Amino acid sequence: MEQSRAEAVYSFIKRLKNDEYERGREMDQYLNTPIKELITKFPKVGEILEEYEIGCVPCHVGSCLLKDIIEVHNLSEKEEKEVMVRISKIIDPDKVISIPVVERKSKIKSREIHYSPPMRKLVDEHALIKRWIALIPEILKHLEVELEGGLWVIYDGADFIRSYADRFHHAKEEDILFEYFDRNLDIIKTMLEDHEKGRTHVKALIESADKKDIMGISQHLLAYHDLLSEHIKKEDEILYPWMDRNLSMTQVGQLYSRFNEVDERSDITEKYKKFILNLEEKYQRKEIKNESI
Amino acid sequence: MRAFEGCPSSRTIDFREEGTKEESPAAKVKSELRQWPIQLHLISPTAPYYQGTDVLLTADCVAYAMGSFHPDYLKGKSIAIACPKLDEGQEVYVEKIKSWFGEAKINTLTVLTMQVPCCMGLVHLAKEALINSKRKVPLKSIVVSLQGEILSEEWV
Repeated sequence: MEQSRAEAVYSFIKRLKNDEYERGREMDQYLNTPIKELITKFPKVGEILEEYEIGCVPCHVGSCLLKDIIEVHNLSEKEEKEVMVRISKIIDPDKVISIPVVERKSKIKSREIHYSPPMRKLVDEHALIKRWIALIPEILKHLEVELEGGLWVIYDGADFIRSYADRFHHAKEEDILFEYFDRNLDIIKTMLEDHEKGRTHVKALIESADKKDIMGISQHLLAYHDLLSEHIKKEDEILYPWMDRNLSMTQVGQLYSRFNEVDERSDITEKYKKFILNLEEKYQRKEIKNESI
Repeated sequence: MRAFEGCPSSRTIDFREEGTKEESPAAKVKSELRQWPIQLHLISPTAPYYQGTDVLLTADCVAYAMGSFHPDYLKGKSIAIACPKLDEGQEVYVEKIKSWFGEAKINTLTVLTMQVPCCMGLVHLAKEALINSKRKVPLKSIVVSLQGEILSEEWV
């Protein structure tokens, strides 16, 4: 009788341990789940991530794994623990789940961003692209497709995107920077997909301009506006700082020198800085004129 | 630790009580030095071991303060050492650093200094050389505490 009681206790403990093991496995499994899938299943997880400035909810790809997101966003140990405990409570509110520590390839440093010189170059290029993006709503507001030359701003804008944002800036990323990392990483795949989507919108934008199709022009220019705004934010705040944490000093020097070679080969920055400045002055004048009316 | 007043660079501080509590690894740490000379007045900035490489410009005291200087910082790099407080003829230093950038076409420059304020002079020399050089390279400043901890690491 006593023995069977002991057996029962033993089997109970074994079951508990098994449950714990299973729960640990379950959490491990969630760490390896694409974030979009997790947010779809548990929308509250997206809200928690937003609180830690992790913007996975609006991301249209969402293939990054939860564990990679934690590493890439450089959360402090305290923040990581907090976020994981909160996520585990969403996934399974009735159970206390032990959270595996996310392995990091680089040491946690301050979340304040200090770009290396090559990354600083890319961020500065983003600044010019953002100035163009900021002009898009005004451009669309004043667009007159029927006027002769009324579409020049669309064609010149498309030229800026193709020549500066794509062939000059994105090529530095795709042909040089990404070579230093595994292209199969979700974060890199997401950026490459964004580049491709941008190209598709610009192609459709030109086709719409050729047809004087104002709806098509607005649709693709606004889609490009939204895509690139989000894309640049992801790169400036997440991708580049993460890359900086993982690049060696030698690699930083090589990147800087290779970026300089590209700058010397295709000296288009001044031309496009002037183009943006002229547009800004033109639309600022229009705005002042409208206000005075 | 006992500290006496005075200039931080020459203030008397006794670390003996803090001693090394943990046993150091038994294996000998091998030297990562791959050149001679190393003093900034003595080196030729265009020597082969500087060509296209990552260079460390280190304040004299750094290698004594940092236990892991050889494996963690010197490995794979070329070096020059100097003391921005005591060395004379520092205008020559600026010219030599400029030569690293322009003629030796070094890949990067890392300046390692102690936390004492006068040590920052070495970073200023490197900055001045970089500003006056046509060719730019990434320049990083690392500040080391008196007991060899990294206090800050930033791009200049």
